[in-house]
Amino acid sequence: MTDDILRTTDLTKRFGALTANDGISLSVERGEIRGIIGPNGSGKTTFFNTVTGFYQPDSGSVHFDGEEVTGWEPHRLARRGLGRTFQIVSPFKNMTVRQNMLAVQTDDDRSREEKRDRAGEIMEFLEIDHIADNEARGMSGGQQKLLELGRVLMLDPEVVMLDEPAAGVNPALESRIMDHIHELNDEGRTFVVIEHDMHVMKTLADSVSVFDSGSHIAQGDFEEVSQDDAVREAYLGGTTAEDDEVPI
Amino acid sequence: MSGPVPSLDRLPGDPRYWYAGLAVLLVAWPLLFGAFWARIGLGALMWIGLAQSWNMIGGYAGYLDFGHGAYFGIGAFAAGIAMAQFGYPFLVGFGLAIVVSSIVSYLVAVPTLRLTGAYFAIATWAFAESIKQTALVTGITGGTFGLSLPRSPDTFVGVPVPFAISETFFYYAMLVLCLATMALTYYLFERHEFGYRVKALRDDQDAAESLGIDTTRVKRQVYVLSCVVAAVFGSVHAWYIVYIHPNDVLAPIITDRMVIMALLGGLGTLTGPVAGGLLVFLLERLSSVFLGSTTFYLPLIGVLIMVTVLFAPSGIIGILRGEVDRDDVRKNVKELGEKFDLL
Amino acid sequence: MVDIGLFTQIVINGLLLGGIYITIGVGFSLAFGVLEVVDFAVGEYVMVGAFMGAVLAPVFGAEGIFVIPIVLVVFFLAGSLIQPLIHHVTTGDRPHPLLMGLVFTFGLATFLRGSVLTIFGPNNQDVPSSLLTGGVTVPGVGTFPVVRTVTAVFGVTGLLVFMYYLYRTRGGMAIRAIAEDRTNARLMGININRYQSIAYGAYAALTGSAGVFIGMIFTANPGMGLQYTAFAFFMVVLAGMGYLPGVILAGIVLGLTQSFTAVYISGNLVLLVLFAIIYVVLLVSPAGILGKGEWAT
Repeated sequence: MTDDILRTTDLTKRFGALTANDGISLSVERGEIRGIIGPNGSGKTTFFNTVTGFYQPDSGSVHFDGEEVTGWEPHRLARRGLGRTFQIVSPFKNMTVRQNMLAVQTDDDRSREEKRDRAGEIMEFLEIDHIADNEARGMSGGQQKLLELGRVLMLDPEVVMLDEPAAGVNPALESRIMDHIHELNDEGRTFVVIEHDMHVMKTLADSVSVFDSGSHIAQGDFEEVSQDDAVREAYLGGTTAEDDEVPI
Repeated sequence: MSGPVPSLDRLPGDPRYWYAGLAVLLVAWPLLFGAFWARIGLGALMWIGLAQSWNMIGGYAGYLDFGHGAYFGIGAFAAGIAMAQFGYPFLVGFGLAIVVSSIVSYLVAVPTLRLTGAYFAIATWAFAESIKQTALVTGITGGTFGLSLPRSPDTFVGVPVPFAISETFFYYAMLVLCLATMALTYYLFERHEFGYRVKALRDDQDAAESLGIDTTRVKRQVYVLSCVVAAVFGSVHAWYIVYIHPNDVLAPIITDRMVIMALLGGLGTLTGPVAGGLLVFLLERLSSVFLGSTTFYLPLIGVLIMVTVLFAPSGIIGILRGEVDRDDVRKNVKELGEKFDLL
Repeated sequence: MVDIGLFTQIVINGLLLGGIYITIGVGFSLAFGVLEVVDFAVGEYVMVGAFMGAVLAPVFGAEGIFVIPIVLVVFFLAGSLIQPLIHHVTTGDRPHPLLMGLVFTFGLATFLRGSVLTIFGPNNQDVPSSLLTGGVTVPGVGTFPVVRTVTAVFGVTGLLVFMYYLYRTRGGMAIRAIAEDRTNARLMGININRYQSIAYGAYAALTGSAGVFIGMIFTANPGMGLQYTAFAFFMVVLAGMGYLPGVILAGIVLGLTQSFTAVYISGNLVLLVLFAIIYVVLLVSPAGILGKGEWAT
């Protein structure tokens, strides 16, 4: 019996006539880095939103760390230890980096001082401590990505779900972000990552799930999956190439 | 930590002397200048406090409450009814204002805060008008006759006060309330994590939720807090003004002023409502004293709002802090000019 | 026992009033669709229109109805020039652009109300009309007061012309394209500044001239704007934002509600009932009671 920290069973989400997630069953093992790939509109972001409570599933269930969490409000899941970022980077622009970090709310009984210290450690770890008191609005896109990662870490999450962490980031910063993910993974945190860059996916993910047209069509390590016929069909057959993903 | 830049820091010399000077002036004001100026002063203090109360929900949380004045009226009538209809001392009315406004604002918050943007603005506006119309047809509020409060004797909850309940007394009452409101705003919204969470939900509600912030709860807390503060000022106002009427204490212009003051000063800043409150209040007084017109300030304020929104959306404080400079205005004028390309 | 004669008379009065409210509601709804702005100044346009009637009618032989062409032209021009300002505050790099648009029209409303109040004082002013007096009695049905009937005819005609322009001309198509998707319309080569100005100008012109008629039926007062802003909100909230057919129904409901409440309950309660309905409908069904409006923030 494997130790699944996150498991969805027959998770289905519809928007009118469009079935964005069609009975997705997927298990993420504790401590792994799971990649999720698939063409645009294959339901990856919808899956994130349904798992993290932003959408109510039409049917199916979500289990997190041995507990059924289907339909929980997003903030409750976040405090329970399921962190996430968004495809479009969304720092709180009118606040400083430090205030962004301190806005995060958890259920634990750490004192304010401990949280402030923790924020300092995380900013140091991500090498954004030199801009701690700058307003987020003036930061570069890459720094905003780091800030987002830092905020999620304030939750002390067991699972972190990242929606395209490398999109729009220069190569130097991209490798920095990947290094950080590996380090955090070594600490025992589980990651679920949506990423279009196959090169990134190949080096980052322990295993990969492939989505197509709202279904979970294949799973395995990167090499296995890339040899899979169904996967090749999904990417090369061009079933759904247009960008009809429902944004949050 | 970067908080708001208190504007006194920009003056030459040690800012502590300026703060000390300001404190002395505020305390000595009615003693130095007499009853007339005490009246002006207490009005200004009340409006600064009210503008700040609106700023909590409208500025910090980004929910344009176009019915906030209802709570000023609810506070005034809670105190008024306790004193005029039941003969209780003011302090009971004060307590009642807090209790009633908390309950009403919570009951309003639960359904109304599910709306956003313009829908929230219209809904709160309709709510406030409903309250006013209800007060006009209800017996306990005095209906269209209004309500006369008993002139308080020179005792405060049975304890004799050293000076008569006069302009001077109310000046100090408003001073204490206004300073308390400022201190509360500073602590909660600028220094405490609570304020960061409020700004977080204003900037991006989904991101806030994903970071463990119970946005529904935080919104309700801010709304109730801001409404109770408005009600507290309303209750003291009723005690001071002695005669209250739905067309006065529940008038839409009360909300209008709060919005205008916070907006002109700078939304979501600690000192914005102070700057905006003083400016609007003084404009109103000066236009009535020097121009003999009690309404001339209205078109003036209307123009000020339009100009502020067009060219300096961060208000007076934004200009003082250097967020809006000549180049921004020039850029705005140029962009605006392009939109006049009509033919 | 309900008096049937009185009842039908109330229905007639309500329907005739509804005719002019529809004009206001449709323009308001369109301004929302095209400019994405909830216009708090709508009632003040009615008020200013009524005052123009009061001030200019004596010049035209005490005949309010002759003022209408002037009001149409003046409001169209003024509206065309106000539109770029609203467009500017609702776009570009500023926090909460849509709310800023709301606040801007709020400032405009304050300006208009304050100016009229300062210039003319708080008293009622009559909008005289000698042509539109008396009524036509239809036996067995009731009396059609001439002024209300002409008003309703004007309202419906104005509405039809407006709809014809919207749905049967190139300009109207451009306006609908903008309402659909502003960015796309721009990419299609439509001068959006121009057509937005036409749309807002037409809305202002219809609303202002509706004001002259309302002034003739009732009276002109600097404080009357609030009521008509409430009416406009009532109609679009009931209909659902941006859903035109719903506005027509809502305008009729509004006219009937007003005339029934005034007779059977109390004139004082009209506003209470309207505001309570606005509040409840927004909470229960924000897309309008027909559920066909669009959400916007």
